[in-house]
Amino acid sequence: MAREERQEKGSYRKFFPPKKKFCRFCQRNVKNIDYKAVEILKKYIPDRGKISPRRITGTCAFHQRKLSLAVKRARLMAFLPYVED
Amino acid sequence: MRQYETGFVVSPGLSEEETEKFISQMAEVVSLRKGKMIKVDIWGKRKMAYPVKRFTEGIYVFFHYEGEGDIPLELERRFKQTDTVIRFLTVKKDPKDMIRRKRKKPAGEPPAPVESGAEAKPEQQAQASDAVKEEEK
Repeated sequence: MAREERQEKGSYRKFFPPKKKFCRFCQRNVKNIDYKAVEILKKYIPDRGKISPRRITGTCAFHQRKLSLAVKRARLMAFLPYVED
Repeated sequence: MRQYETGFVVSPGLSEEETEKFISQMAEVVSLRKGKMIKVDIWGKRKMAYPVKRFTEGIYVFFHYEGEGDIPLELERRFKQTDTVIRFLTVKKDPKDMIRRKRKKPAGEPPAPVESGAEAKPEQQAQASDAVKEEEK
């Protein structure tokens, strides 16, 4: 059962290939992400104020690490909310 | 010698003169301990994302300086003593981080990166260029 579902998903993917994601930071050749650049960080925290995962944004592992650190610093300095509802 | 960046939020209750006096006092701490002040960044009043000590606004100030490790210690000790500072954060800065990574490209094909740039959607590109500007600030 499960296998069939998976196959179906595979064929679905074949006809509608997902849009290729890429790391925006790599594209811009940025090495370090500053916690003061609030406008950039805001793009990576949707409504709830959580950090969006790599599988959704397509950020590379290197930059996701930097990004999460920057977001956490920004939260401490009250640039970004810890919780938002 | 290291580069540090100390950001702190001054409570909005103070008058302009008092805040200026406080900031210059803190700048003095850096110079007294043989630190080199690179930049003083005063953002002014800004709304905070959540209330801190019942304040909804704060005056953001950032110090960029170079010196030994006792300077941030002393600054933070003073911040803890006074009620005027709501929040503070010191970040060690690596001078290497300021330089952008050079993209390794094969010697034979210079036009390759141009093509990849043109393929990206215009909307995304616009966003990217905006962000680049911000990064450069």
